This record gives sequence, structure tokens and C-alpha cells, in this order.
Amino acid sequence: MTQQPAHVPQPQDPPAPPLSRDLPPGINVIKTHVVRTFSIDDVPLTTCRIDPTGNWVVAAAENFEIYRWPLAGPQSARTILQGHNSWVRSFDFSPDGQWLYSGGYDDRIGIWPLADPQPAPERMLVAHEGWVRWVRTSPDGSLLASCGNDNLLKLWDTRTWELVHVFEGHHRYPYAVVFHPDGKRLVSFDLMGVIKEWNIASGKVTRQWEAKFMWGFDKKFRADMGGARDMRFSPDGKYLAVAGLTEVTNAFAGTHKPMVLLMDWETGEFKQKLRIDSQGMAWGIRFHPEGFLVGCGAPSGFLWFWKLDGDKPFHTFKLSGGGRALDLSPDGRQAAVAQTDRRVQIVQFTDKPA
Amino acid sequence: MQRDHGCHRIDHEFSRRGFLASGALAGVASLSSPSLAKELQKKQKRVLQIYLQGGVSQLESWDPKPGTRYGGPFRPIPTSVPGMHICELLPHTAQRMHLMSIVRGINLKTNSHHDGRLFMEMGRRAGKFPYVGSVAAKYLMPENAPLPGYLHVTTRGLTDFTNAFLDARYGQLKLAGPQVPENLIRPKVVTADAARRSRTLLKRLNNRFSGRGGQKSFTDSYNASFEMAEKLMARRELFEGEPAGRDLDRYGRHPFGRNCLLARSLLENGGTVVKVTHHGYDTHAENFNFHLEQLGEFDKTFCMLLDDLNDSGMLESTLVMIYSEFGRTPKINVRYGRDHWGTAWSIALGGQGITPGAIVGATNKEGTEVSQREVDGGHLFHTYLQALGIDSTAYHTLDGRKVPIGDPTRQPIQELLA
Amino acid sequence: MRRYLPIILALVLVGPVMDVAAEAPGNGLPQQVDKLIEAALPNFAEHASPLCNDAEFLRRVTLDLTATIPSSEATRRFLADTTPTGTKRVRLIDRLLASPAYARRMQYLLDWILMERRSSENVPSAGWESYLRQAATENRPWDQLAHEILVEGGGDSKTRSRARFYLDREFDLTVVTRDVGRIFMGKDLECAQCHNHPVVDAYLQRHYYGLKAFLDRSYLFTDPKSKKKSLGEKAEGDVTFTSAFDDTKGKTSPRILDLAEIIDPDGSNKQYVTKPSKSARGVPRYSRRQQLGIAVTAEQNRAFRLNIANRLWAAMMGRGLVEPLDLGHVDNPPSHPELLDLLGDQLHDHGYDMKWFLGQLARTRAYQRSSLTSEPSAKVALKHFAVGLLKPLSPEQYAWATMEATGVLASTRSSARKKLESEAAQARAKKTKKTSQAGSDKKPDSDAKQDKAATPSAVSITISSAALETAVDKAVAGHIKTFVAQFAVDGGQTTSFSATAPQALFLVNGALVWDWLKPTTTNLTGRLSKLDDPTAVAEELYIGVLNRPPTESERNEVMVYLAASSDRSEATLELTWALLLSAEFRFNH
Repeated sequence: MTQQPAHVPQPQDPPAPPLSRDLPPGINVIKTHVVRTFSIDDVPLTTCRIDPTGNWVVAAAENFEIYRWPLAGPQSARTILQGHNSWVRSFDFSPDGQWLYSGGYDDRIGIWPLADPQPAPERMLVAHEGWVRWVRTSPDGSLLASCGNDNLLKLWDTRTWELVHVFEGHHRYPYAVVFHPDGKRLVSFDLMGVIKEWNIASGKVTRQWEAKFMWGFDKKFRADMGGARDMRFSPDGKYLAVAGLTEVTNAFAGTHKPMVLLMDWETGEFKQKLRIDSQGMAWGIRFHPEGFLVGCGAPSGFLWFWKLDGDKPFHTFKLSGGGRALDLSPDGRQAAVAQTDRRVQIVQFTDKPA
Repeated sequence: MQRDHGCHRIDHEFSRRGFLASGALAGVASLSSPSLAKELQKKQKRVLQIYLQGGVSQLESWDPKPGTRYGGPFRPIPTSVPGMHICELLPHTAQRMHLMSIVRGINLKTNSHHDGRLFMEMGRRAGKFPYVGSVAAKYLMPENAPLPGYLHVTTRGLTDFTNAFLDARYGQLKLAGPQVPENLIRPKVVTADAARRSRTLLKRLNNRFSGRGGQKSFTDSYNASFEMAEKLMARRELFEGEPAGRDLDRYGRHPFGRNCLLARSLLENGGTVVKVTHHGYDTHAENFNFHLEQLGEFDKTFCMLLDDLNDSGMLESTLVMIYSEFGRTPKINVRYGRDHWGTAWSIALGGQGITPGAIVGATNKEGTEVSQREVDGGHLFHTYLQALGIDSTAYHTLDGRKVPIGDPTRQPIQELLA
Repeated sequence: MRRYLPIILALVLVGPVMDVAAEAPGNGLPQQVDKLIEAALPNFAEHASPLCNDAEFLRRVTLDLTATIPSSEATRRFLADTTPTGTKRVRLIDRLLASPAYARRMQYLLDWILMERRSSENVPSAGWESYLRQAATENRPWDQLAHEILVEGGGDSKTRSRARFYLDREFDLTVVTRDVGRIFMGKDLECAQCHNHPVVDAYLQRHYYGLKAFLDRSYLFTDPKSKKKSLGEKAEGDVTFTSAFDDTKGKTSPRILDLAEIIDPDGSNKQYVTKPSKSARGVPRYSRRQQLGIAVTAEQNRAFRLNIANRLWAAMMGRGLVEPLDLGHVDNPPSHPELLDLLGDQLHDHGYDMKWFLGQLARTRAYQRSSLTSEPSAKVALKHFAVGLLKPLSPEQYAWATMEATGVLASTRSSARKKLESEAAQARAKKTKKTSQAGSDKKPDSDAKQDKAATPSAVSITISSAALETAVDKAVAGHIKTFVAQFAVDGGQTTSFSATAPQALFLVNGALVWDWLKPTTTNLTGRLSKLDDPTAVAEELYIGVLNRPPTESERNEVMVYLAASSDRSEATLELTWALLLSAEFRFNH
């Protein structure tokens, strides 16, 4: 990995507002409120992430651009990153927050120096034949996993960008791929609800499941509907959460229900099928450090909060638009939500300050 | 459920007249021009219709708008025609665009599945007119055609009355796929002679009954169904047996692949009009994921069929059209879907009588409007028939009255006619 | 309507009948109907066909009132009956209406109207068919039936079958609102989207939402234990809509078309008998769905009576006064508005007695017109009911008619009767045994033997015709299903007919029909193969299949056909096959 200078504040930067981690703690999701709104023109957003340092929020939209704001704002500090020739729906970062990786529908992975004033792609890596649907960094940052419309998972060395390994086996598009926190295993989830656990060293599938309830075949229109819209391990690796859908009755009208699947990773059982009784999909899911799950959905436009053993949300928060992606700030006090109404809303899970 | 056409004021009058016309009149249409009939006999022509049911997105197929606000994530690719680009979802088709042309400026002024479909089939916005497939069957089908004139391979249950006031034998015969139609084999207890004798007797009885006057269309339809059944029975080998492994590899083992193999077989064995429906394209949600799947299936299969027609020399006498009932909105909705859009969309066509490699009409930068050479279902209808050598400005002659074949207020798209 | 004309038998058999009731006294409904029909077309008499002959009438009315063709015996009996034809026909109408098969016919008709061949997902069709059969047997008035169906939520197992209307539409609110309008009022409110005329558009949009307001507090509830679906209902919620023209928002309480809005009573908001929850379907104190049943069938809602009058007219005459049957609106008026009003009002005044109404229609000249016409352009005649219309047999009629014609029905009926008799005998024997045992403990063997002798074989068992018909229904249920699968069309209109090649293949090659044609001792082909005289063959054949005697040339045709064949059995089978598959059999004419 080439050295990049750390971000040096320039004289003309506005004074940064107090960082969220300076504020006193006190997570109380019932008091969730919007603290900041970022927006773009023209088109809905597709995804967003907060980087590991908590400095930045990045987002992508139904266009070829990537947006970056300082998490603390303001809107005017928005930077547009250009380099992709199609939409982006997945981001990840190097653990130190220096690098941004973007998975694009132009078959490429963008590698960006995130802290640069105007980041230009260090490289646009042609990664798959067809969309790159998901990118994930290994816990130690040395590898990047990607999956794409060629039905393959690929593992890349983040120093040299050499292709380390190709995992073949999915018969339909893998929608998401993640590393287990132990760094030794990959997990992928495809359109048909097939879940595979791969041993990285051997390259072999060690376990496999079929979450058929997160898939449906629309007989009228003859098409499959399913796939993970988000996937996350709990930090201790004990659980896997997958955001997607269930009860497909009319795939082409979007008539299905949001579902978050919670798997006990050690036993391999489907621990919880968290189904929301409204139309649409669960697009984002996160394990909060305080031990609950938070998810978002569209087009219904809600944040949902679940206890790990509860089957109904203990709280919901109405968003101003459909929630297409969700990420937590490193201290868990805030979240960024990428919405269909062209906004990234930053919500805070605490009481409003006096 | 098929809706009867009562929705427009003019149509009420027509549909009541239409019923009565079909009821009372003999429905024996004939060309008003005898020399035209002789012309057609010179060379047997046929039609292949590929109907992409539900409304394929023109932005994801024939009229990509890369990098625009509503352009979506797919990119255009060059084709075998210099300067013509289509969506990357059709890589095989792109290699063959020198055999096809695109019409990009269609505006139907409707976003309804039902109305759009009928406009595209009848060449009229309203009323009860025969579908282009029935019209082509009527004027192209030789007297002793071995197969019913208009065959439609589809799995959907919609009931289309395609022949309107034309004879029932030109109505579409629906085949639910390549499997052997039920009851195709005569029972062992019935000898060929017995079958022939009984059939002759039955015909005689039915002709007698038809002589009662009254709703001829009912009895005609009933009689025609036996004729069609007979034709199918005589050609049952078309439905028996598995296609060659090599063919299945090329066309694909999915239903559309098998249906197109059957279509090829039907065209090669005397089918006049063969239509294959591919389900489905009505992507109000996940437009991009679904077009990936559906066009992925369509692209290679269609091209294998096109290649086979071309290689066997049949393409130059076969009109090929790929169409839907409308396109899809440039604006992408919150479900990543595109909605109905009859306002500015495209079809592709080629083969018999069509100048290949042409693009007729255009839409504006974002695809929200036709910017050049706006046409509708009426113009297309004329164009199809003219390409087949049928004078669409002539009349069907029914007992006591003449009905224009094509809408008199529309004209063929001359730029497309070879 | 007594008209005593000297009618020659031959004329009755082969020729059309003179206008029997041409000068009938009285001003009952049939006479009023004919007056309006005939007045609507100048020179009606020039266009009109004469009335159909007795054979045609017998077949037609038997199909229309009992969903099958008459048996050979019934045919011969009717044709030989020298009672003046007017009286004869009226008696026949009343006899058919009084038979159990009338209820079967009405079950089929109502099922087609109400469910339009929808598959059974949530409510088994057997229960639904039973419900309709029972209602038809009791001659339950249409407004009562409609009310029952419109309010039913399916929560009570005793009445759950009625909820098939809602539940097998998955209570999709758009579909259900539209279908309530179409099926109970003959108005397709969804059509609002098609019209360009701004006034008509606004008119219909308001209607649609007014109707929706009755139903949109109801929702599909799945019982968490039984997984059965039923309707729950909330006690709150309003319908708002945005005008298609000026974006202003409107709000509406439940209302039927242009009648007054039905305002929720004060204090009813959020008041429950059972509050909606995950485990219990909501039952409000004030139910808008209940109001729907009342409002649709109410006196003031003319559309209700006109719709059923139109549909029953179409069932008998072959074409509605409003066509399509569910598309009545400003731009699609009835062909005979005064007549439709008369029919609707009369039906209403007679308490929506459908049996009475059909009997009245069957008595009209309009119903009895011959379908034979020599009109060069018969379209006028058809439109004005001056000529009888062809009616394709419904799948159920077709099944029953085919079974009757081939003789399958007779043997089915006979087997069913035997079975019922033996069951009844066994039941009686058990009962007798019980009572005799209860009576005295020790009986000498000789007495016991005597008791046995006094058992049912010596005593006649009467099987009610209703019980027999039920048993026959059960026996042929599978065949009915087969014909429905092959020949069903959606409801909603009667003016198109399309025969398909797969249907033709079923008739020509299908195992079922050939099975019925295979000669047995009792069926038609079996009986025919035993007849030596070709004339007898022709007569038995035509009476059995087409319910009429053959003409001279038809007799000759049969004679020639038989003579040309070396195998009499084969030849009679072929003749039967041809008549069975003929258009004359396929259509009610």
C-alpha cells in the first residue's frame, strides 16, 4: 500500500463542529432524531457508509457519481468523486479509513484516497464480467472480497491488487459477500437464498444453507426475486444478519415484505426471521454496540430496532424517504441513511441536546 | 381477464355493430384486388412475432440513454451497424443488427396494457379489428396450408379474439409450449377410414346447421376449430420427441428457448404466422435486475432463431418483429422500477420487405418525448403488411360492406420498406 | 295466455309454429315484454322469425332451466302430447322450474356470475357450491343472497362458504371494489380511467371511492393457529382521493353511486366488539361492510335490480339488454331502456324471485323465437330479439347434455338409485333389528327368520328425487370438472364465441367421450347397434342426441350410411359421434 499524507487541515477550512465522540454518551433509540441532512440533485441514493474514523460519510446514487461529506457537515463541503461509468451500490474502507473502495455496475472496483481534498481514483480495477454487487475488506485490511454478476466471488490483495482467489459455485448472482470477523471465512448470499460459507485458505465451501423464504419465483412473469440487500456479522462473529425480503406475491410490483434473517453462526440455525408487516424490502441492517439490531427499509421509509431475541421491532423511526442503506458511526451514536428522496439523513440515537 | 371494448363512445357504436357484423355476416373476406392475390402466390411469405409481454424498457434495449439522469446503470454497446448502439443487455443481438431495423419514435398515447396491446396488434386504437397476425394469415396462407395460419406459443391464459370479422380459421391457435397438445392422437379404436368417414359426415351436418342463418361467426368458429385440430393431428410429429441436444444448447433449455425451437419448426413446416410470447417485462420494481434476467434469456435465444432462419434462406421471406405493448418510463421509481410508458419507445423489426440497419425516429436526450418521426400502432400496422406485399390501404370485402385493412388516417413508414 | 289452435302433429314436429300468443289476452309481464320488444322495431313482423317448434322449445327451455337436454322419453312424450302447444309449453316451464335440476342450473349460473371461474384458494368450492345449491333449492330471493355474500367475512364456520366471493379474490381491495360494482350493479367503475370526457370521468371516480369506502376498513386476517383467512374490520379509517383533474383532495363516506352518503353514527369511531390484534380479527360495533349489504340491495339503488334483470335476460335470451353485462354507463345505454326498467321493477316487486322471473321470460314470444332466419342482413333482427339467438352451451350444460345423449346419465342415475335403495334398505334393517331387539330379549329362531322376511325387499323404498339428484351430482362431479376445465370462459359478456383447437381435439380424440360412446347394454350406441331397421336407428339417434325427429332427408342419409358399412356397430357409433359433435348439439338454438 502506497503511503498517502494524512489529512492536514487547511487554513480555509471552517472550524469543525464538536465531534460526536466528545459528547456525553446515552443511547436511547426512542429519542432518535435527525441531526443533519445532506442532499444531492436529481436522483435517489443507492447506498451510504460512514468511514472507520467517523470523519466522512460517503454515498452513491442512481448516477455515476460518489458523494463525500464530512460527517459533521456542512452540506456545502460536499465533494463529488468521479471515475465510475455506472451506478455504485457498495462501499467499504481500509481499516484506517485512508482508502475507499467502491463496487460499481461498470464491472469495476474504484480505489480512492478518501482523505484527499478531491479524491481521484488511484485505480479502477476491472473486477467482474458484469456488475460488482458487493465489496468487503477483510478485518485486517489486507484483502478485499467482491462478488458480481459473473456468479463469482473474488479475493484481491489490497496492496498489489492482484487477484488472490476466485470462488466458483453460485449458480445465480451473489448479492453480498462478507468476511467473518475471524478473517478466515467468507460468507456469500445469492438471488435464490443460497448461503455459502467458504474457507479462505482451502477455497472450499464448508457449510451451505438455503433461505428459500427470502426468495420467490413469480410464476406469472417468470422471474426470480430475492438476494441479500445487506449482510453483517455481529462484531463477535456469533451472529449473521441479512436484510432482504420474504413472501413474494408479485415480484414486478414489488409486492413482498421486508425481512431480516438472524443466523446463529456457531450452530448454523436460522435464529430469527424478523418480518415487517408492510410492503417492500429491508435494505440495511447493523448490529449496534449496545446489543440491538437496527435496520432500514424502502419504499416504506423506516428505521426498525429489534432486540436480538424479539421478533417485532421495539421501536420504529419514520424517515422522510425510503431507506436504501444504513451505516453506524464508530461510536454507535449516529447513523447515516441513504434515502430515495435524494437525502442522506444523519440520525442520532440520543435525546436532543438542550 | 379480457375486457370487452366498451370504454370509448365511438367504440360502443362499433362494438355493437361489430357484434352484429360478426354475427350476421358471412365473414368471407377477400382481397379487393385480384392481381395482388396472384402476386402473393409467387412466393410464400411468413411472419415471426416475438412479443415481449409487459413492456420491455426501451432504455434497456433499443434506445439507451447513457449517462443521462434516467439512463440507468447499463451502458450501450456498438452493433454491427455503424453508428447504431443498443443496450449492453443484448450483446448477441447487437452482432446481428445489420439484419434488423429499429423504430425509436413510437407514441401510442396510452399507458394501459390492454389498450397498448390491442393498438399494436390491430393497428387501431379502438374497436374490434383483426390482429395483424390474423390479417397476414388470411392473405398469405395458401389454400392447402398444412398448419393453422396463426399460431401463438404462450403460457398466459388471456383470451384474445384475434380474427374479429375475418373467418375463424384465421384466429390464433394458442399452444401452451412445445409439449404435445393433449388429445392429439386418434384413439386406437378409430381407424383412419372411420375417422375420414365420420369427419365428412360431421362437415355435412355442420354446413346444414350453418345454413340456418343467424350468428355465422359462432358456427364458423366451431367448424374452424375442427379444421385446425385436423391440421395439428396431421403434423403431430412437430410436437413429439425432444429437440436435438445441440439445439437445446444453442436456444437454451428454458421455456422461451423451447418455444422458439417449436416456432422454428412451425415456420419450417408451413406455419404462416408464428408468434412467441416471452414473459415478462412489466418491471415496476427492480427493473434492472429483471431486465438482466429476461433480456439475458431473450438475447441468445432470439439470435439463434434468427441465425437459423437466415442460414436456411427463410429470413428474406419472413417478416420478423420484436415488440411490446409499450415501453417503460425514463423516471425510475422508488422500487428501482420503471413504469408504463407509451409516450416514447421502440420496437425492432427485419426480414421480408424491411430495409435492414435503419433507425427511424428518435427520442429526446432523456427519452421523455419523441423528437423525430413520431409514429404509432397504426403506422406500424401498415408497415408490416406492406413489407409482406399486402396492400394495407385496400379493403377487406365482407358481405355487403368493405372495411379498410389499415387505418386510413395512417400510412406505412416508407423509410423502412425495402 | 291460453290459445287453442288446431295444430297438426306434423307441423309441430317439422315446421315452425305460428305466433301462438299473437292475440293472447291479458297484460301480464310476458305480454308487456313482447309489446316493448315488438314496438322497438318498425316492421317487426317482417324481420321476425316465427316461434320455434315444440322440439326446439323443449330442448331450449330444458337447457335453460335445468342445465341439460331432455331424455329420449321426455322428448317423445312432449312431442306426442296433443295438448294445445301454448298450454303444453307453460306446463313444461312450470314442471322444469319445480324439478330439483332447476336448483342445479341456478347454482351453475350464479357461480359463473359471482366467481367468474376463479380458482378456490381459501374457501373450498364444494362448500360454496352447496351454499348456492341450497339457496337455489329454497328459491332464496336474489337480494337476500346478495346481502349474505356482501356482508360475509368468513369468520363463522357455519356461513364461511359465502365468503368465497371476497376471500378467493384475496380481498384485493381494488379487485373487490370493482367486482362489487360489476357483478351486483352492472357497472365497471374502473372504466373511469378509460374515459376522456371530463364530466363522465369525475362522475365515475367519485362512485368508485364511494363504493370502496364500504370495504376499505375490512382487511384480510390470517388466523395464526389455523392459518385460515377471513375478514377483519376496523372501526376507523376514511377514504380520501385526489381528483384526476385538479389535484384537489376529496373525501367520501360510503355511498352507492349518486345516492346519499352513509355517515358513520356518532361515537362509533374506534368502538369494537373485538379489537383487532394478531390473534383476533377485528369486529367493530358499527360495520361499514354490513352497510354495504344493505345499501347495495336497497330500494333506491336501481342499478341493483336492473343488473340482475339484465343478467337473467341474457341467460335466457342469449344477449343482455346492456352488453357487456357489466359495462352499463352513460355511454353504453340499454338497447331497450323501457323494457329493462320494466323487468327490473317487476323482479323487485316480486321480491327478487328469480324462479318466477325466469318462468315469465320463458313464456314470452321473444324467448320462443326460432333461430332459423332467412334474413339477408339479420343483424337488425338479432339486435331486436326478432330471431332466436344461438347460445353456446355452458361447460356444465355441455357435460350434462353429452352424458344424457350418450345414455351415460341414465345408467349413472340407475346405479345411484340402486345404491341409495340398498343403503336405505340396510338402514331400515338396522333400525328394525334394533327396535325388535329392544322390544323382546329372546326370540325363537323361527320368529327371527320371519322378521327377516319382513325386511325392505318386500317393502318399497321411496328415494326422493332430491336425494337421487344429489347422488347423481356426486357421481358425475369429476366429469363436470373436466368439461369446465376444457370449455370455461370468463363471465361478463355473451356476444363472442371462440372454439379452440384443443377443445376440438378433446371432442374428437378425448378418452372420456370415446368411453361414453363405447357400446354397452344400456347406452345409446349399444341400443342403436341392436336395432335392425334403419328408420328406427335414425329416429332413436335424432331423438336421443338432438331431441327431434329426423327429417326425410336425414333418415335417408342414415340409411345410406348404414348400408355403406359392413360393420353395423361401427357405423352407428360413427353416426352418434357425428351428431354429438355437431354444431346443432354444441349450441342451444
